[in-house]
Amino acid sequence: MSDFDPGRRRFLGHLGLAGLGALGASSFLSACASSASGPTTSNGSGAVTIQSNLSSPQAKAAMEKLIETFNAQGKGTASLNTIASETFRTQLPTYLTSANPPDLYTWYAGSVANDYASKNLLLDVSEVWKSLDDYPQSLRTLSTDASGKQIFVPMNNYWWGFFYRKSNFAKWGVQEPKTWTEFLALCETLKSKGVPPIGIGLGDTPWVASAWFDYLNIRINGAPFHRELLAGKQRFDDPKVKAVFTRWREALPYFDPKGKAYPFQEATTALLAGKTGMFLIGTFFADAAPKDALGDLDFFRFPIIDPAVPLAEEAPTDGFFASAKTANPTGTKALLSYLAGVEAQEAYVKASSGIVLPANPKAKASDSPLVAKGKAMLNEAKELTQFFNRDSSDALQPTADTALTKFIDKPDQIDAILREWQAGAEKVFKG
Amino acid sequence: MAFVLVPFAVESVWVFWPAIQGFWFSLTRWDGMTPPTFVGTDNYVELAGDATFRGALVNTVIWLVLFGGLSVLGGFGMALVLQKERRFVGFYRAALFTPVVFSLVVTALVWRVFYQPDGIADTLLRAVGLEQLIRPWLADPQTALYAVILPALWRQIGYVMVLFLAGLKAIDPALHEAARMDGANAWQRLRHVTIPQLKGVNAVVLSVIVIDSLRSFDIVWSLTKGGPYHSSELLSTYMYSTAFQSLRLGYASAIAVVIFVLALAVILGYLVRAFREEAS
Repeated sequence: MSDFDPGRRRFLGHLGLAGLGALGASSFLSACASSASGPTTSNGSGAVTIQSNLSSPQAKAAMEKLIETFNAQGKGTASLNTIASETFRTQLPTYLTSANPPDLYTWYAGSVANDYASKNLLLDVSEVWKSLDDYPQSLRTLSTDASGKQIFVPMNNYWWGFFYRKSNFAKWGVQEPKTWTEFLALCETLKSKGVPPIGIGLGDTPWVASAWFDYLNIRINGAPFHRELLAGKQRFDDPKVKAVFTRWREALPYFDPKGKAYPFQEATTALLAGKTGMFLIGTFFADAAPKDALGDLDFFRFPIIDPAVPLAEEAPTDGFFASAKTANPTGTKALLSYLAGVEAQEAYVKASSGIVLPANPKAKASDSPLVAKGKAMLNEAKELTQFFNRDSSDALQPTADTALTKFIDKPDQIDAILREWQAGAEKVFKG
Repeated sequence: MAFVLVPFAVESVWVFWPAIQGFWFSLTRWDGMTPPTFVGTDNYVELAGDATFRGALVNTVIWLVLFGGLSVLGGFGMALVLQKERRFVGFYRAALFTPVVFSLVVTALVWRVFYQPDGIADTLLRAVGLEQLIRPWLADPQTALYAVILPALWRQIGYVMVLFLAGLKAIDPALHEAARMDGANAWQRLRHVTIPQLKGVNAVVLSVIVIDSLRSFDIVWSLTKGGPYHSSELLSTYMYSTAFQSLRLGYASAIAVVIFVLALAVILGYLVRAFREEAS
């Protein structure tokens, strides 16, 4: 699941990009751009091609196992293409618009999927959903496009929270905070003990800052406003958005100053080594943690700021969608039904390394207290959001990265930053 | 005739056609999925008012001057020092050339370790008592660009040195001999014999430097991605993020056209001058 994550894709991205610089600038761009109409892999007659960005070793092996099992069942044949994540991300529009596209793709639920649906590029998978009666309504809504048909089949989701080491909190004699006031008090205590309270990793992974923005916004203005903002129906220079940053500023003095320079993987190391107190991050960070530290990890939900705002949590959902142009819709749907089933989801959770919750409510997640706590937190939430880029688009994410890292550096310039952000966002929405 | 036609046909498909298409795309609005719509010069008008683009242009000029200038000076200096055959000279040349052999991604990983908080750079500064200078090198908008130029230079100097070494080897020793007979000192021989003799190499070096500067992408992308907040943005990284993150391929093509024009202007300018000198 680690590769499903937006930032992980970017982190791996620079490896894949190395070769690009070798090409001449202008011819390189147009060569890539004009290849959009070129054919990609042909799926032939029978086999369903599944294009997967799950390129980390465990996730890749887990997918291979799933496809092997599916092929052995005799309901159809499928072949797996695993693609480096950054390549996958940049090539996805090309795949979907090519004349002879692969059939099935790993991707994210939310706006990122609905955008493709609105361009009629995705297969209607309502039929698959008919057998997914027991899936929660929230996942069904998330997988439904603007015209009311299902276009996405979820595989699993995970959560974000403030992670910390139980042994360290015990050593410092502190408890999980529930409210923003308690949270700031906790920060103050940690700071007085000489520990930078809040870890962050923005070097190379600036998108991590978006979790702060998302959470503050859904705690202060609520999830509906957040979604509208990310869809371009509200403005970033709105006073309601500024209120988010006013709150954020209260916590800024407690951020680890080194966090600007290193990526979230190193922020994880710092947290585990007790060099920071806590870290707002998604569960995928545990991939970078040594196994013996996992038992010592715990988390608390992002503190409540306004109790009147319905509780919402970030729960990015990963799964699959299919090309509308697939030559084999029956086989594709059969594979999707299999992937949505209890057996496949349990097998995937078991084989992959991360802390994930299977989408199928009957499938068992791994039985650690941490996973149980995460699941309970999501169940308690009235609303689930995905993550900044998934609730908007990958195109909007860089505007957030620029605005948020600048705010962390220069909080005085917040008005100018928000104006720039709005201008940048308008360009993205305009296309 | 076929000797010319075959490469020409291949070039047409792989180079000329995409380049012409790039110009066309720069006049459109295009997300890579739906067909491009023609918008005339809108993209260029937007470029004129785009602060990020201006910043990237300035950074590219800084890059061209610092990276280009220092790698010529450094490469030429090293070539002069290492041109004479003496003990271990092969080792020194190889050592200077080694960075060229590394993949830029590996280079970036190594330099990232160098720059990281409490990394080698910080340790060195502490050792000499300059800890007040310590900062998040790649994350500070004041230093990010220069922190990226350094690894790029580290790599380029070896390359330029090899070009100059080849050029120096081609100079007829008799010329130096004659100059020495006429009583020219080392500086005069350098100024009036070596440098004029290197004219052919200079054209190559200049082209290589200009092209390498303008296409410098990989090292910047691997180290800072143009950040923090566009402070180390070059035209090439801005073009990439506009095209493949923001999916504004028309606008990105306009940036690509600007890069092309810049490269062409610098190189043509030099060539025209060189031809004129030759003619006169």
